[in-house]
Amino acid sequence: MKQRLKRILLSWEAMLIVVFAIVCVAFNQQDASRQAAGLSKKDVFNLASVIKSMRPYMLYSFMTLGIALILAMGDIDISAGASAALSAAMLGILYKTMMDAGVPSGLSLALALVGCVATGTLCGAANGFLVIRFKELFPMIITLTTQLFFRGVAFLLLGGGTLTFKNDKTFDLLKTLYNTVTIGGISIPIVIIVFLAFAAVFYVWLHLTANGRRIFALGTNSKAAYLSGVRTDKIKFTMFTICGLLSSVTAVFFVGATSSSIRADSMVGYEMYAIAAAVLGGFSTSGGKGSIVGVVISLFLFGVIKIGLGTLYGFADSMVNMSVGVILILSTLLPNVAAQINAAGRVRKRRASSLV
Amino acid sequence: MTAQAPVKRKASSFAALLIQRREVLLLLVLVALLSAVSVRVRGYIPNNWLNILKGGSINMVMAAGMLPVLLIGSIDISVASTLALSGAVSGMLMRDGYIATVPGMILVGLGVGAVIGALNGSLMAWGRVLPIIVTLGMSYIARALIPMDWLLGLNKISRTNLTDSFKVFMLDNTFLRLPYLVWTAVIVTFVIGIFLRYTRVGRSIYAVGSNESAALVRGVSANRVKLLAHTICGATAGLAGILWLGYYNSVEKSTATGDEMYVIAACVLGGVSVTGGYGKISGVVIGAVLIAVINSAIPQLNIGNSMITEFIKGLLLLATILLNVILGWVMRKRELAQRSI
Repeated sequence: MKQRLKRILLSWEAMLIVVFAIVCVAFNQQDASRQAAGLSKKDVFNLASVIKSMRPYMLYSFMTLGIALILAMGDIDISAGASAALSAAMLGILYKTMMDAGVPSGLSLALALVGCVATGTLCGAANGFLVIRFKELFPMIITLTTQLFFRGVAFLLLGGGTLTFKNDKTFDLLKTLYNTVTIGGISIPIVIIVFLAFAAVFYVWLHLTANGRRIFALGTNSKAAYLSGVRTDKIKFTMFTICGLLSSVTAVFFVGATSSSIRADSMVGYEMYAIAAAVLGGFSTSGGKGSIVGVVISLFLFGVIKIGLGTLYGFADSMVNMSVGVILILSTLLPNVAAQINAAGRVRKRRASSLV
Repeated sequence: MTAQAPVKRKASSFAALLIQRREVLLLLVLVALLSAVSVRVRGYIPNNWLNILKGGSINMVMAAGMLPVLLIGSIDISVASTLALSGAVSGMLMRDGYIATVPGMILVGLGVGAVIGALNGSLMAWGRVLPIIVTLGMSYIARALIPMDWLLGLNKISRTNLTDSFKVFMLDNTFLRLPYLVWTAVIVTFVIGIFLRYTRVGRSIYAVGSNESAALVRGVSANRVKLLAHTICGATAGLAGILWLGYYNSVEKSTATGDEMYVIAACVLGGVSVTGGYGKISGVVIGAVLIAVINSAIPQLNIGNSMITEFIKGLLLLATILLNVILGWVMRKRELAQRSI
């Protein structure tokens, strides 16, 4: 029992929560001192406002879940942003074509949404197929090239312009995805609610079922996993497909968030945000570890940091990006350094005891 | 049976050539692409060869620097950000009158790049942080330094901020009809190629890449090799920043966003293995030229709108990389069949 408690307290998630708490306290302090100095009239850093301004930083949360799956296998997918852009393009194009053909608007939107998710899934499946069929090439290289290809197709569909649907009541339904619902006096964005539902499903699947554990087994040692009966190729293909599907979910929310304007060069760099969040959440590009709880905390942590640095300290976007970079590096550097110091201490102790 | 033997040996030696020298295959693809374009666009090569070389130089310099990094099984996705930062720092120094000469600019560029590369390398070597994490973080950091008020506070470096001698140097000065921009790429490529092939330290980069623990036993300090490889990569990216200033005469914070993908693509096309240990500068050169040709040729083909360029670029890269692997399979199978296995 004591051992278990110790393990929980020393876990990566617990540390993330501690960091999260420290950040919140510091931001609160800054908020209070700004109010005392008369720089702002009311407190800007409170639960309600933070949750509401979290929305733009939750758009790539779905993609992050997908990337986390890929990282757990020890692979990487850098085409997620491009496949999301392609899915969004498909959503717009399908809707437009069907409206032009005289299909009822409700049916058009429903079919376009299906097409959007199917596109993302197909992109993921294409990645998965290439990864398992061409084992000489690394997932990084494959997704690097498919990324260019997917974005190229998006450019081909949209022709470099912006596709908008002005005053289209049916298409504007997507905008409601970016709204908030009031629960217990606090307005919570729909994005967060949907994401938490997704995360709960992924948590159960990844951590509590044999199926999910196989993914980690594959990431720890793929040969050993293969020899102990894990169908590695099938799992890889499925995971890349799911990652593509989740990218298209991000695309749907993105279209809602940007007032239904669709561009081929949207969501550039989203995959990097997603990788950063997944890595901070405890996943590693070398595979075999990580937890969904960590990913959820790290996504919120990134959101809070971005909001806080922006509104409380008046930092520009670039400074916020820089802090993301620093956090990313430190989050893997510090545990490594701690482990090295620990190991050196153990060696010293052993040497000292052997002298006696 | 015996009569057929020489023919068979010839075939298998060609197969062996294709397996051992991946760049031969790439050269074939390049020739095929060039002739296909030449059929459609009259006088394509005579009119465009110089533009292809100029356009590909910056990518070539960075790809040559990426080679040692990929050889040790690492990766650097911060090169495009390094390019932007080095261009911004040196451009500002020139704008404010601290440096006026080209050698000064090149030194500053190399220096800025080398510092970032060395930081990347040491975080990986002694901090044991994975390459993709370090360089992903560094790509955010380097780019963020450019507009920051208390550091550079740069909005944009433009044509008027640069001295005339610098503007003339890269493009207008020529030697053997080639501008100095291209010559810089040639020199960097040669230096890195010779360094990797003929020097002791260069060979130790291959050694670390093919088997790190074996290299350690053999007395090669893997950490120092990692530091060196990343410093070289950073320095070339920094130099590329100067070339960028010389070619486009402008740098801002979003300069060259996403270009690291083309750098890595040039290396991968050239047959460099991303797990380390295998790759040659000749392949990288052909890979970089291939990408430059794709960039220059597709817009001139006049197929549909200009946006189709992106699509064809992606398709061609994907096809070439897959073709490389598939032909490898075919050749290996044929070789095995000939030895009747």
